[in-house]
Amino acid sequence: MQGFHEGAGMLISNFVLPNDLHVHWSMMIVLYPYITGLVDGAFIIAALYYLFDVKSFKPVARFSLLFALAFLSCATIPLLLHLGRPERNFNMLLTPNPSSAMAGFGYIYAISMGVLLLIVLFVYRPDLVRRGRDAKGLMSFFYRLLTFDSDDLSESALRLDGKIIRFLVGLGIPVAAVLHGYVGFIFGGVKANPTWSTPLMPVIFLFSACVSGIAAIVVAYIFIRKATKQSVDHNCITTCIKTLTGFFILAFCFEMLEVFSHSYLRSGYHHMVEGLLNGPLQNSFWLWQVKICSVIPLILLGVMAFVPLKEKFYTTVAALVSAILLLQVFIMRWNVVIGGQLMSKSARGYTTFHPEWFDKEGIIAVIGVMVIPFIILFILSRIFPFWNNRDEKGVI
Amino acid sequence: MISKHALRIIIVFSSIAIMAGAGLVIKLFLIPDSFGVYGAYRADAIEEEANRAIRHGTNKSCLSCHPYEASIHLKGLHKTISCEFCHGTFADHIDNGKKIASLPVKKGDDITTLCLRCHNTEIKARSSVVIKTVAMPDHLRKQKVKETHSCNQCHHVHAPLKHIREAERISGLKISGKGANLTGANYTLFSPDGNENIILTPPTIPYSKEVYK
Repeated sequence: MQGFHEGAGMLISNFVLPNDLHVHWSMMIVLYPYITGLVDGAFIIAALYYLFDVKSFKPVARFSLLFALAFLSCATIPLLLHLGRPERNFNMLLTPNPSSAMAGFGYIYAISMGVLLLIVLFVYRPDLVRRGRDAKGLMSFFYRLLTFDSDDLSESALRLDGKIIRFLVGLGIPVAAVLHGYVGFIFGGVKANPTWSTPLMPVIFLFSACVSGIAAIVVAYIFIRKATKQSVDHNCITTCIKTLTGFFILAFCFEMLEVFSHSYLRSGYHHMVEGLLNGPLQNSFWLWQVKICSVIPLILLGVMAFVPLKEKFYTTVAALVSAILLLQVFIMRWNVVIGGQLMSKSARGYTTFHPEWFDKEGIIAVIGVMVIPFIILFILSRIFPFWNNRDEKGVI
Repeated sequence: MISKHALRIIIVFSSIAIMAGAGLVIKLFLIPDSFGVYGAYRADAIEEEANRAIRHGTNKSCLSCHPYEASIHLKGLHKTISCEFCHGTFADHIDNGKKIASLPVKKGDDITTLCLRCHNTEIKARSSVVIKTVAMPDHLRKQKVKETHSCNQCHHVHAPLKHIREAERISGLKISGKGANLTGANYTLFSPDGNENIILTPPTIPYSKEVYK
């Protein structure tokens, strides 16, 4: 009974409809755009190398592909865990129609998974062929399967592989952009929610996805190389940070533009959005997302761009700024997904959200889901080596 | 002359195309027959839903066999509340006009939990003009009763102000409502049948920043 009293009046304000008291799309739905975003950003790095020939990305290009593959294979886990009847997702895919945004996502996801898997197999074919020659029994068959049963490593074969990789990456860019733009579109398409329902939503999601993915690659690359006592390619880190800076400026501008246009237009539900950002989201939006995790990284990125820093120090700051930006994107997803649900459809009241530890969508479950892609990445590393240490002949 | 490698790649891509095509064909077979007759849903679902056994009766069904409860319920402020909301579904009690089981009767803390489903101040969905809400155990302290009291020790569950009006009649004190000398009240609204009145508190101000501080 104490609980009824304690919760009353302080955080829940004005008129909150009974079905709005509880936040239905909770942390799993925060993870869903976060994980797909990481995939997108990682793929951008691979695309910059394999399609646009940005040579300085070479050290991380293969790793980015595997990172994208590991996370993409987990992208639907949070969604399926969130559903009470996950097996019903197949019904949605059986009967897609223009009024179902989610069915469209299923098809786009399947296509991007196929394209990414093919890119990885073609990129790694020379490595897999070499490994297959040493393998015996079942493993030999496994490598034959992964190399399409072709052990041809002649120049013409590798040239053909190169063309196919370029074609697949070229196809992969719009697919990746559509995949994550679609995640934003799914939120932007919820007309009943004034903070989500804006055409800017897919754009914001897309740019913040690029930010999170590139930041994740920088952090993971520096961490793994340092942990395994290998050198860090300074030129690669510099190019990554420059690209990250560009994408982050765009992402942050669009995030702020959305707030400013809401604020300037003063459209129908402006009072609700204003009350939300200055009320329940005051800390998580203005303090954490904007001040701590956006303004500070912008200053750091500015220093990194204009002040000559020693390589070691530059690498440390690069890892730090990327980690903050990973947090920024996570908080941004949190503020959009959970924040958007903290206001009642009554347009007059706000509710509150307390994450729980041991819940179906609690903190432990979230950590569990976030660990899975890293386990997959580790398993992938046993088959597909992360780094191209031997500078072999070939197009890749 | 096409190389062995190129041939393998052609086989891989052709297989993918064939599998995708086969997937689309299999999809055609898996779509339910009545899908799309009226719209993007299974038309048979309408009939299936309509044929589901009705589980809820109405207050009329309940009160026809419970005249004593009817005599209180219909005079109280709760007269528009469905019996089944608190007692459970009609189908669990009656089948083909015959009693098949007793519905559980709520007691003690369960009653308080049930009452707070609607009367909890935390639920701000309805204005206080429509429903009186309380915060527990504030309400019990304010009424100077033990905090272990359950709601039905003062309020008749079918007519919430029945006992209170009777107490007022016996004691001559005005416990609630206009001119009450035990609790403060701002407005009084008489219920349509004039039997009971409810206390109204001043409306809250929409979205005040102070609430979060």
